[in-house]
Parts: sequence; structure tokens; C-alpha cells
Amino acid sequence: MQPLFDYASMMTRRHFFGSSASAIGTAALASLLGSTALARQDKTVRVGGLPGIPHFAPMAKRVIYLFQSGGPSQIELFDPKPLLKEKHGIDLPDSIRMGQRLTGMTSGQKNFPVIASRFKFARHGKCGMELGELLPYTGKIADEICLIRSMHTEAINHDPAITYIQTGSQQPGRPSLGSWAAYGLGTEAADLPAFVVMISHGSGKDSNQGLLDRLWGSGFLPSSHQGVKLRSQRDAVLYLSDPPGIDRGMRRDMLDSLAKLNQQKMAESGDPEIASRIAQFELAFRMQTSVPDLIDMKNEKQATLEMYGPDVKKPGTFAANCLLARRLVERGVRFVQLYHRGWDQHNNLPDNMPLQCRDVDQPQAALIQDLKQRGLLDETLVIWGGEFGRTVYGQGGLLESYGRDHHGRCFSLWMAGGGIKPGYVHGSTDDFSYNVAEKPVHLHDLNATILHCLGIDHERLTFKSQGRDYRLTDVKGTVMKDLLA
Amino acid sequence: MILMFGLLLVCTCLVADDKNKNAIQFNRDIRPILSENCFACHGPDAHQRKSKLRLDVRESAIEKHSIVPGKNAESLLIERVMSMNPEEHMPPEKSGKKLTQQQIELLSRWIEQGAKYEKHWSLIAPERGELPKVKLTMWPKNPIDRFILARLEKEGLTPSKEADQATLLRRVTLDLTGLPPTLDELDAFLKDESPNAYDKVVDRLLQSLRFGEHLATHWLDLARYADTNGYNNDEERTQWMWRDWVINAFNYNKPYDQFITEQLAGDILPHATIEQKLATGFSRNHVLTTEGGIIEEEYRVEYVADRVHTTCTVFLGLSMQCARCHDHKFDPITQREYYSFFAFFNNIAEKTVGFNQARVSEPFLKIPTKEQQAEKDKLLFQKKTLTKQLIDRQASIMFDGQARKSVAELVGTNKLLKVLETAIPANMIMQEMPTPRKTFVLKRGQYDQQGEAVSPGVPASLPALPAGLAANRLSLAKWLVEPTHPLTARVAVNQWWHILFGTGIVETVEDLGSQGAWPSHPVLLDWMACELISSKWNVKAMIKRMVTSATYRQSSRVSPELLERDPKNRLLARGPRYRLSAETIRDNALAVSGLLKERIGGPSVMPYQPDGLWQDVSVERRAVYKQDVGDNLYRRSMYTFWKRTCPPPGMMTFDAPDRETCTIRRARTNTPLQALVLMNDPTYLEASRKLAERVMNASDKDEARLDHLYRLVLSRSPSAAERNTLLSLLAKSRDRMKASPEKAKELLSLGASPRDSKLNPIELAAWTTLCSLVFNLDETISKE
Repeated sequence: MQPLFDYASMMTRRHFFGSSASAIGTAALASLLGSTALARQDKTVRVGGLPGIPHFAPMAKRVIYLFQSGGPSQIELFDPKPLLKEKHGIDLPDSIRMGQRLTGMTSGQKNFPVIASRFKFARHGKCGMELGELLPYTGKIADEICLIRSMHTEAINHDPAITYIQTGSQQPGRPSLGSWAAYGLGTEAADLPAFVVMISHGSGKDSNQGLLDRLWGSGFLPSSHQGVKLRSQRDAVLYLSDPPGIDRGMRRDMLDSLAKLNQQKMAESGDPEIASRIAQFELAFRMQTSVPDLIDMKNEKQATLEMYGPDVKKPGTFAANCLLARRLVERGVRFVQLYHRGWDQHNNLPDNMPLQCRDVDQPQAALIQDLKQRGLLDETLVIWGGEFGRTVYGQGGLLESYGRDHHGRCFSLWMAGGGIKPGYVHGSTDDFSYNVAEKPVHLHDLNATILHCLGIDHERLTFKSQGRDYRLTDVKGTVMKDLLA
Repeated sequence: MILMFGLLLVCTCLVADDKNKNAIQFNRDIRPILSENCFACHGPDAHQRKSKLRLDVRESAIEKHSIVPGKNAESLLIERVMSMNPEEHMPPEKSGKKLTQQQIELLSRWIEQGAKYEKHWSLIAPERGELPKVKLTMWPKNPIDRFILARLEKEGLTPSKEADQATLLRRVTLDLTGLPPTLDELDAFLKDESPNAYDKVVDRLLQSLRFGEHLATHWLDLARYADTNGYNNDEERTQWMWRDWVINAFNYNKPYDQFITEQLAGDILPHATIEQKLATGFSRNHVLTTEGGIIEEEYRVEYVADRVHTTCTVFLGLSMQCARCHDHKFDPITQREYYSFFAFFNNIAEKTVGFNQARVSEPFLKIPTKEQQAEKDKLLFQKKTLTKQLIDRQASIMFDGQARKSVAELVGTNKLLKVLETAIPANMIMQEMPTPRKTFVLKRGQYDQQGEAVSPGVPASLPALPAGLAANRLSLAKWLVEPTHPLTARVAVNQWWHILFGTGIVETVEDLGSQGAWPSHPVLLDWMACELISSKWNVKAMIKRMVTSATYRQSSRVSPELLERDPKNRLLARGPRYRLSAETIRDNALAVSGLLKERIGGPSVMPYQPDGLWQDVSVERRAVYKQDVGDNLYRRSMYTFWKRTCPPPGMMTFDAPDRETCTIRRARTNTPLQALVLMNDPTYLEASRKLAERVMNASDKDEARLDHLYRLVLSRSPSAAERNTLLSLLAKSRDRMKASPEKAKELLSLGASPRDSKLNPIELAAWTTLCSLVFNLDETISKE
């Protein structure tokens, strides 16, 4: 009998029954069962996940999602509209708006003056992708990315919109994209969580939309699949550090005694769940080393640090989180989700937008280049985008320090890496960047495509809750083959 | 250990064995197959129905020749499921569904036996069945055991022996109060040799006010109770008096029919009391948005939908919400019927208002706390006195300096009254509008796509509303508690069974519909449902029956053979053993360390939480967690402030839900993050120190201290092997602490409670590590 194999099957069976789902570190298991066989294969052994998934050969093994919370303006960054120079100040034509609903913040406005971007656009790379001048570093990776200008969503407010794009439903209660991935695919990181979340605060106006635990929550999936926050405070993972007086040696002694006592209990009670408990404590012990290792940048080359820009040395910034994201996927973590806050430019857009862009531009370009240099880009899917875009008309009228309201009818998002067609622009919008003109991509299509890159058929990764088979894409979603390499 | 893992892999299907021995039963054997694989396209949903065929209605299936009773070979159903032609094969490949050979055989045998249909079992009113005959007549302690034993005997299994006294006491005390037994309670029970010693314990626990708190804790999940509004802005709300109403209701054993009626329709009851109105907060606990720019009607519709979802899940065990956008695909509920049900809850005038930091939605009831009422009475009296003085003086046209002073005092009093008025908690409640709002079918569930108008009503597949009453929430509540209602009592007893045994008789506690699980003991479920109704919905009496049964009292020890035979313990040949809930794990640590402050109810409290969690996610980083001081650090976990967008992390790690939607069943996971909480959360480290002080003060001898420690935490003494392990760790810990006394002192400084300065700090630090270890034991965080 192959005990380790059997143990793994047992855990799979548990997953199947949905009663308990433990992602046990292989190394922890090895130490638990006194075998080193698995410890040698750390890098390639998968922990957790469902049998039969991936459904087909994946193009990407891991995901880094650079979420831009608040709704970055496509008009300043990604979707050039030269005609707006001419039309600047005129009222948005009814033929464009077509009576579509607006948020309560601007629906009462008497007029809807069209506002041209204050910022210029230029072509980049061999592909000639047009990008706003606030993203010069991103311009340098134009040939690596696939820009979608035809994203759309029905939601027009932050909470429903961000919940929608992250969970497939505008209302609370569903698992997030990352937890679906962790549930289906497990992880290849022996002693780190499968799904890691990091938050950074934008330099623009402090964000007036909240983030929500549910965005990385596991909904009705077992809670072991929820995202684990990696923080820039003393404990990168909550409760990671041992208290004063309990050093590593003491902790080891305590865990040895604990294991002994728990084993005695298991022998007496016959409950196999106790074996899993012992393994979880061992994994926790290993995380106490692996997480500090992860966040310790001292072995990063100076050139690498410089590439990410000066902020990389400030913990908790987007730049530092980008570098951590690379370190996480290097270690086999399945899903890394960054949130950068502060993109909600209802006013003062010309002042705030450059600050927001400076936060993200250099680090995100560096992340792509860094992954590429290390041969990781091919198997890592990187996604950059927010919950919606912004209106062409000014909020509060035609102002010098203009702002834009939420807009779901069209917005831009880019992807790069595993499975994605590089140097490609997909879809287009009308002359006012108000509605999608060609090749619409709904957020369900995006999510179906993301899962597809991971080797998952979005219609077959399901979980039964209250009698219904739920999936990330609800009852919709089409894989966008055009986006694939 | 390895042997056991191997055995686990062999999972025998008990139900299937059973099926082969008996005649086919539609509800048990056939409906689950058809529901899971066929009903989505050939079921109740008229709009999605393919080829006009429905397999949930016998006549339709026969008319279409899908089923020719008695004739397998002529039945298209069999032909199609066996077809090798992908064009014809059912279910279609795209559905991702596939029948097993065994399922196809079952279908064939069913058709051969005449293809009899039955109404779905949970829609037929329960009947009190005969108590089954059993061989082991000495074993049963009450009727529940007869049902369990009969099944065990049929399976060739025998029940386990009774758990030892101490284990049993700990189990039942944790189950009924969420707290461990005290040493006095343990000793008294071990000494009591009367035959009804256990019954006396159960009676004592059911009388304990902790009982109401503990049962209410489960109810808070179902009722999605929280202290903030959820959604983007997630401001505070003041709904905790409703929570206290629930605690009281359980403590005073409010009959379950009244419990339901007051929560659903307390406001409509004749001469409704404040408490009855307060109870309707149940339907207002849903999330509430105040995000700028939202379209009010879109969210108002969501709130009503949430009320429907919660009411149907909690009381009916039906997934009514599935019929919001289209007819239900599995259960006989049309979209029109959904909106008729929706109409019951669509008749309040919602409007968001703010009081200080809190935001609530009208209608609400402002109920002062006792202190606030006293303050208010005092101020009103002052106001009255001052006003009278002024009137008297005015009459005498003597407006002097004294009068001016009175005016100033009156202004001050009015100001204080206003401040007080704002601080009085506003409890959201239900209150009917005088002119009912019209309800329409909403096409595809969209708030702005109105279809035909509907009036309040219940699905035709369930009993009719009581005759002669206006169709409103009160008649809905009366309908739910009619003795002939097929679902309410079953759903209730199944929930309590789930709480006590870890798995419901219907495992899918939230769904007793077509897609729900088949009950492990259907006749027992019905017997208990009938018993609940005939006991006039006596909650404590039913729970007492469950915990005094021989079934509940069995040892949870499991042999490899039994584990292999019944890994999930559905047959109950042993007692329950599983991890405690998030709240109970923390409360247990507070209780045994002596830190727990018992006080029922009041505003929610903020115990230890790592810094910065709220700022990270809140609007403009403004929400700041203001950690409490003093007693509020040590209240039971059910009183911990529940912020929906950032719930207490120590609770979430142990599977507490975020309370954004109704949750009937929590997951029960086992993760490394749980280990980190138990090892390093200051809550548990402070409790370790206080526990260490307690055991050190109990004796001077290590052995005796160890014994005391184990008896406090686990209600038993350590074995010789355990003693050796612990004493050797204690020795190592002492050496380490001696080597770095400064670190030892730092360890002892964790937590706000004072350190017992009479105790040697090195010794106390060593014992603190030992106590921390005991808090990490699987046994400590499990009931067994």
C-alpha cells in the first residue's frame, strides 16, 4: 500500500463529500508520516483540488490579478477618442446614450457635457498599441499584453459591480474567482495558502468605495478556499508570529508534544480527522518560516528592485505587492489577487489620475518583464482591470478639474501571459467610448476565458448549494477564443 | 494509522445495499435520479421544457411514451439513457450529467414494477408512525432510539456503549450551553448515583440562561444577523435588541409556533407589544446599501427577495429563490407563485436615516435601554418642572432673573433630550403600509421589468392559506404553524438534530425539496415532527428528548470496521465527535481560564483584533476598530461586533459565515490558519496565562496541577502517557524561561488582565506554555 497516495485520495474523497476540505501541505504530510518521498517533489506536487480538473491541458498554471478598485477611466488610459477634441463641451447625443440608465449621482444632471481626455495618446511597440501618456512603462510592454477595449457589465455602482466581476453575481453569497480556482485546482505551494490577497492604497484621493471580505470569500465553498490576506503589518499573515518567550525551539517542542498527545487521542478515539489536525499544525509551523522567507527581499538583485521602482521598498505599496506576487507564483501559489484602491475619479480627475498611474505603471510593467525573464510569464496569467469604466460626460458639468461617473457600458482591461495573445487589441467602442461597437466581452466571458486558460471548462466547475449546481459564470459566459494565443 | 487510512478508502454505500433488498420507492430511489439529471429540461419549469416533455408528472411521461408502465423495452426513457448515439443519448453530454449503470437499472426496475409516482415526500404532511420493533429491547431510552436501533439491527450493526460520565457531561454541556462544565458540576455529576442523574443535568442545563444564548447563536446565522449594513459603506446598525429578543425567547421556551409568528408578523398581531414588534426585526436583518448613486428600487427589490429567500430557507427548507427569474427547475414552484410569496414582504415603506454613526432604514422602533429610560424620565421631569415654573411666572408677569435661568435650563434640558433621543437604539422592524404596494411578476427577476400583477399567496403544491383571513404576513405565519403543514415542524427538528448530532436526518438541512438529500431516518423525522406539534411546539422538550436518548449518549469512539462501514455516521451506531464552532472554541477558553464575563445582551462588543483590518477595506480608510476595555473583552463570542465586510478574523478562520446571507450549515474545515489562531492569537495566550494562574493556585504539586488543568479543560484526568509528555514539556519550558526571564515576562504581559504577582513569573510562564498547548489539543476544540 502507498500510504501517502491513500491519504491524498482520502482527502480528495473529503472534498468530494464536501464535509471537510483540508489542503494539507505535502511537506507537512511527509513529516507527519515520516517519509521524505514527497518533500523532494515539492515543486510539482499538487495539493488539494478536484479529480478530473484541469479538464484539459492548461495554458496558465497560476494567476496574478492586478485589480484596480474604483473603476479606472478608459478614456484617459486605454481608449483614445480623437473626435472628442472637436466635441468637447457639447451635450452627449441621445443617439449615443439611447436612454440607458445612469447612477443616481448624475441622473439628475441637466446636461451631460462631453469631456475630452486631458492626456495624450501614443503608439507603442511593434504592435502599435495606443495607450495614454500616463502609462509610459506600460507602453514598453505593449507587445506582451492583450488590451480589451470592449469589456462591459450591467452594474453601475461599486459594490454590485466589483462583487459581480469577482464572483459572477451582483449580490453577496457566491464564491470569488480565486476561491473557485483554489477549490478546483488546489495549489502547488506546499507551505503557503493557495489563494493570497494583498491590498494597496492609491495616491489619488482616498478611496470612497469599500473593499469587501466577500471579494476573496469562498461563498458556499468550504471556507478553507477563501483568500488569505498578506499584510504589510507585523504579522504578514494574521497570528503568524509566535509570542515573546516562545522561540522556534520552544514551538518545536510544543508541537512535538502536541502531536504526541493528538496521536494518543486518535488511537483511542479512532477519528481520522485528528491526523489532519496534526498535519495542519505542522503546516502552520512551516508557514511561520515560509512566509517570512517570502517577504524577505534581501536576496533580490538591485537591478530587479530598481525595475519595480522606488516604492518597492515600502511595504504595502502596489510596487511591493507586485514583487511579492512574483515571489508567490514562483513558489507555486495558485491565485494572487492584488487590489489597488483609489480609482474612483468623480472629480479632480486631472490631478488624481497621474498619481494613481504613477503608483502602478512602473511596477506592473516590471512584473511582466520580471516574469518573462524568469520564464514564468508563459505559465502565469496576469490580468489588470477594475469593476467598470467611466462616463465620457463630466460629473457636475464642464469643469476644469473634471470628473467622470461610473460607466458599465464599456471599459478597458488588459491581460498578459499564459495562453493570451500578445500585442493585440480586442474590440472597440463608439466615438464617445459610451457603448461597445465591436466584439463585446462581458465579464462572464472574461471569467470563462480566465478559467479556460487554467484548463477549466467554466460550465463544469460547479458546486451544489441548495439543490442547484452553481458556477462562477452563472448561466452565461463564452470563452473568447480571439484573446487566446 | 496507515491501516486506518487504507480502510477509509473503502466506502460502502449503505443506502444502495438497502435498495437492492427492497421494492423500489419512487421518492427514495427514483426522484433523486430524475431530479438531478432530467428535471432541468423536463421538469416544472415550463419555459425551459424541451420537447414538451415533463418527467416530474406521470401522465405527461406516459403520454409521451417516455414511460410505458411495466414495459421497459417500449419506454423511450430507457431507450434514450442507454442509447449509444450521442444525438439521442440522455442526459446530453453538454449537461455534464451522466447516469451510472446502477441508476439505469433502478429506472428499469421501477418501470417494470409499474412506474409508480409519489408526491415529493416533504410535501406530504408527516404522520406519526408506529414505533418499530427491536431485538435489543434494553437499549432504547426513549422512542427516538427505537427508530435508530431498528435501522442498526437491519444493517447488522449494534449501538456503541454509553460514553463515560465525564465525556457525556462535557458533550451535553457544550451542546446545550456552548460552555464547558465547571469542576463543581463535574464532581456533582460523578458523585450522583441516582438513576436519573443525567436527566437532572439536562434539566439544569435547559434552565440555564446560557442555553438561550447558545441556541440563539445558531439562529443568528440563519437570520443573517450583523452589526453593520454590509455592502459598500457598511455602516453600523443598532439591531442588537432583536438578538436579545431571540435569547429571551429560547430561555423562556417560547413555543416555536409563537417564535415563528412573532418574528414574521409580530407587528400585525392584535394589540402587538413592543417585544412582538421588535421580533419582526428578523425580516430586516438583511444587508442594506447606502452607496451613493444606487437606484433605490433596484435594492428595495433585493431586500424583499432576501426576506423571501431567508423565510423559505429557514422555515420551509425550500429553495424558493430559484423561482425568481423563471419557474423552479426541480420543485413545484412557479415564477408567479414566487412573486405571490414576495407580495407578503413587499409592503413596508423603507427609507434610510442616520443616527450618529449608525444608519438604519425605516420603519424602526426606538427602544431605550433601562439606563436611557431612567435618564429620559429624569429629563422629562425636569422639563415639566421648568415649564411649569415658567408658565407660573409668566402668569404673574414677573419675568425676572430666576425666569431667565429657568429658560436657559430648559434649553439645556431639551438639548440633552435630543442627544439622548439620537442615542436610543433604532431597531428596524416590519410595519405594513396602510395602502398595500402593488406586486408584479418581475420578468427575469429584474426590478424594472414588471409583468402581471399578483396578490399575496402560497404555492399550490403546499396547503392553502387558512380560510377567512386576510392574506398578509400574519396569515402566512399561521399557515406555517398549522398542524397539517408538511414542512415547518420537520425543518425545525431537522435543524436541532443537525446542531446536536452534526448532520441532519436530512443532510441538506437547508433544502428538503426535490434536490435535497433523502432522510437517513424518514419515519423518525416524521415522528419527531408530529411530537413537536402535539407538544404545542415545545422546543426544550424536543431538545431534551434528543439529548436524553441512548443514541445521543453513545460513546463516539469508532472502530476501523465501523468507520469503514459508516464513515459519516449516518446510521448513528456511535455518538457524535467533531470540532466545536468558532464561538464555542473561544468561549470555552474564556470560561476555563476564568476570564469569561457573563452578562446577557446589550450592544455588541469589540474584543482583541489585529490593528488595521477595518481601515484596509473601509471607505476612505475611516472605519476604525475601537478595542474595548474591561469586561467587554471577555464577553461570549456571540456578542462580538459583527462587521459584514470585515468580520472578526478569529471567528471567520473557524468557519463562521460573513452573515451577508442566511446560512443554515457552516462548513467544518481544518486548516493551518486555525492552528495559527490557537497558537498565537492574544485571546488564547491571555487565557493560557489566566488558566495557568488558576491551576498554580490550586496546588503546589505539578501532578496535581496537571490533573486540575485537564479536569478544567477536558473534564477528565490525564493518562499516564499524557502526564509524561506534559511533564517533560514543562521541564523544557522551565529551562527556557529561566534562561530568558525577560522574554518570560513579555509573554506574561499579553492581554489586558492583570497578572497574579504572587506567582513566580518563570514558573507562571512555563505553565502558560503548557496551558497554551492544552488549548491546541484536538480534544479541547472538539466535542466527543
